[in-house]
Amino acid sequence: MTASKKLGVAILGTGNIGTDLLIKILRSPHLECRLFAGRNLGSPGMMKASQLGVAVSARGIDAVLEAAGEVSLVFDATSAMDHLKHAPRLEKKGIVAVDLTPAKVGRMCVPAVNLNDCLGLPNVNMVTCGGQAAIPLAFAIQKANPKVRYIETVSSIASRSAGPATRLNLDEYLGTTEAGLGLFSSCPDTKAIINLNPAQPCVHMQTTLLARVEDPDLDATRARVAEMVALIRGYVPGYQLILEPMLENGRLATMVRVDGLGDYLPKYAGNLDIINCAAIAYAEAVANRRGN
Amino acid sequence: MAEKLAITVCDATLRDGSHAYSHQITLDQIRAYAAAAEGAGFDYLEVGHGNGLGASSLQVGLSKETEGEMLKAARGCLKKTRLSVHVMPGYATIQREIVGAIEAGVDLFRVGAHCTEADVTQRHIGHVRAAGKEAWGILMMTHMVEAEVLLEEAKKMQSYGAQGIVLMDSAGASLPDQVRAKVGLLAERLDVPVGYHAHENLGLGVANALAALDAGARILDGSSRGFGAGAGNVKLELVAAVLHRLGYPSGVDLYKALDASELAAKLFAGSLPESSPVSIISGLAGVFSGFAKPVNRVSKQLGIDPRDLFIELGRRKVVGGQEDLILEAAQELARKKSPATQERP
Amino acid sequence: MNKAALDLVREDAAAVLNGRVPSLEALKGAQFSLTGGTGFLGTWLLELIARLNEEHGFGIRVWSLSRGAKAFALKWPHLASQPWLRLVEGDIRYLAELPRETQYLVHAAALTDRRICASNPSLVGEVNTVGAMRVLRAANLLEDLRKAVFLSSGLAVGRQAWELQAIDENHSGPVRCDRAESVYAESKRMAEVLAQCAISEWKAPLVTLRPFAFVGPYQSLELPWAVTDFMRDSLRGGPIRIMGDGATVRSILYAADFAYAVLAVLANGKSLATYHVGSDEAVDLLSLARLIAGHFTPMPEIRTGLGQAGHERTRLVPSIQRLRNELGFAPRFTVAAALERSLEWHRMMERG
Repeated sequence: MTASKKLGVAILGTGNIGTDLLIKILRSPHLECRLFAGRNLGSPGMMKASQLGVAVSARGIDAVLEAAGEVSLVFDATSAMDHLKHAPRLEKKGIVAVDLTPAKVGRMCVPAVNLNDCLGLPNVNMVTCGGQAAIPLAFAIQKANPKVRYIETVSSIASRSAGPATRLNLDEYLGTTEAGLGLFSSCPDTKAIINLNPAQPCVHMQTTLLARVEDPDLDATRARVAEMVALIRGYVPGYQLILEPMLENGRLATMVRVDGLGDYLPKYAGNLDIINCAAIAYAEAVANRRGN
Repeated sequence: MAEKLAITVCDATLRDGSHAYSHQITLDQIRAYAAAAEGAGFDYLEVGHGNGLGASSLQVGLSKETEGEMLKAARGCLKKTRLSVHVMPGYATIQREIVGAIEAGVDLFRVGAHCTEADVTQRHIGHVRAAGKEAWGILMMTHMVEAEVLLEEAKKMQSYGAQGIVLMDSAGASLPDQVRAKVGLLAERLDVPVGYHAHENLGLGVANALAALDAGARILDGSSRGFGAGAGNVKLELVAAVLHRLGYPSGVDLYKALDASELAAKLFAGSLPESSPVSIISGLAGVFSGFAKPVNRVSKQLGIDPRDLFIELGRRKVVGGQEDLILEAAQELARKKSPATQERP
Repeated sequence: MNKAALDLVREDAAAVLNGRVPSLEALKGAQFSLTGGTGFLGTWLLELIARLNEEHGFGIRVWSLSRGAKAFALKWPHLASQPWLRLVEGDIRYLAELPRETQYLVHAAALTDRRICASNPSLVGEVNTVGAMRVLRAANLLEDLRKAVFLSSGLAVGRQAWELQAIDENHSGPVRCDRAESVYAESKRMAEVLAQCAISEWKAPLVTLRPFAFVGPYQSLELPWAVTDFMRDSLRGGPIRIMGDGATVRSILYAADFAYAVLAVLANGKSLATYHVGSDEAVDLLSLARLIAGHFTPMPEIRTGLGQAGHERTRLVPSIQRLRNELGFAPRFTVAAALERSLEWHRMMERG
């Protein structure tokens, strides 16, 4: 594919998430970052982007809207409050919004589960890091076991990977993750738990899925989960099964670890990496669809 | 000699004890014990799941009774003794649990976090205070960091509105000198009262509570008969006796506190915590005491030594709430033990 | 650098390391990042690392960021050509990230030149505070950061009262905020507070070092400090000029000792702690002038009382007890020895 056929995209928000997305896009055969927009030309992300020769602007959303001809899709890595304002303006200009904030404007998108349903939508939401890690497992367990009564997910992340906004908004994280679990697994009873671990060297993200299942079929579960893990590894290379589905004390349990790619964010921040990888997977699918 | 300041006594029997009882405490047990705690004059009685509000889960263990029912049962038996709950952000949320607990008549919310993560408590403490209830900040697993770090974190909680700070020796791993240094620094530098929550893994519960008192603590936690996680908490009846002996004023009626301990012994017979090789190693490894039951259970299923598992968990520096890691660590140990199981047909 | 001068530097680097190498074991095979790595201290750190790498197989790798990287490479090829050293030219105010593999970080970049403080004080304020902020932010993205040393300044804690023998880490003297000349002390003070913020927010494994006064090879004699003034004037045949009566008191540590202290703190310093580093051997300016003059024949004349009457006497001497107690640090070079070695080096350099 030649460069001109790549999908023109922009990144809004030049913090750590936005900068990490930029490095991933520069590697993508299907995406071309035509604008890196934020508010502060002096931020480390902006400086990094300038060094990499990417067009930058400190005029935020306005710069993105003005680039509408060149930019078909924007990754919004600002904040939920900002995205609520950005979403209608982007939609009016026909720019697809991939929302990495917890604003929940568009449909929840977990590429391994509902990528195709999300193509063509004006706005998709990338749920949460725990959601991206756990929802596919819940989906696989539900496919293998018709009688899933209750699903619970526990994520442990390195303290240093949780910034001030995450720490202040743990409740919203839990609520969104639970809603996502319920939506994709069709199980009405869900629970999400998160632990921050300060150990040094930093722990890598781990997510456990626990379920109460009537008449569990362990072999089928293992097969479904293995398929799902392989599928996710297609876009999150650091996603790995570290505890095969097992039964213990009346619960079905399985666990994954997510190593980050270490693009701009550190490797231990698998929680931030997985959501960025999912966003890229979605954008690449949009690019492929338009290319065809 | 200066007159001694009054000590606030907090009874954790019906909360920490939940760990020792696999979270199966019944409403009848709650009612019976709450009445005894009221009679003993303890300032606060904490009730609920071992990991606090919203923690009934496959991760830590499902409670027999719902949170609302437990709080209602206790509330009905308390007049002077105030009702408290443990709250861990990441488990409990404001809307899902705290709002309901306020309605259920909880007086004090003890909002806890791992000892380095105080900033996750900001909104929860804020909500409780805005609703006109009392909120304290709880720092857990305090053996893991130095006094200066605890002070920094406690100051954060104080700035969010916490009206007391309790240091928990959640792993029962602390020594009296460490307790003295940590409580001492906080007592000197904080505006709000400081408390201590001791565990018995190394048999130092009373020694640590005493060190905390010496260093200026004004709040002490304990459980009747030590009914609590791992090797148990410092025995509340001994705390009452020591306070009596040292002449600290408190609202506790010593005889009735002893009676409450007898009642706890009867109510929870067969599940009272005791020192064991595993609980000692757990303390040495510095692992959350609440892990004791699942560690023993999983070790048995996978045929490994629970002591090895505790040491492995300690090496990984797990924190309270990370019970899921028990399964993974155990499986890794089992795999190492018998390489043959690595091959799956 | 000619061989004699280089040998002197290497001898002194070896002298401060002698018998202490095992205590630096933690640094073996480590990746260092230095900001301001081509300054006086940075150069000495590189000399010590060169000894550790060449004679003790430490295998330390160094990434060094500074505005003077190119000039440094031309001036000191014996260091610049080392395969374990990567010199990067850049301004700390625009630092976007640090090398991912950084394990030990020394933040030494700052504007310290008294002349710039006088003519462009706002620049000093910017570089010293924004620089610290940038470094802290970049450090937060490092996965395997084991320890970071932030170099502050003995001036950050404010003025030492004349009656006070030595100031320890808890000292807090006045700093006037109604005058531009305070910018250096204030900017260093702000940088220290920012470092404490990083410790509070993300438990940065950070140690603050407050250096006092130094002397040694590589020090530019153009700097208008008392000791450099006296040495320069003496090398030019004198006279040594003292504005006041010469009673002002300072202490001066040899650069090799300072560089060793930084390594010792990196290896064994307590995270979160603040240490004073300098010499606790107090010396008044007249004695200092005499010590220097004694190395010349004929002895240059020492003139005192050249300034206005009532010239203020000041005292700046650190207590280094904490560094001594916790890390067993003690200077290996007395003031007299430090001056002797420094003068010898400058003479060798003049001979070319």
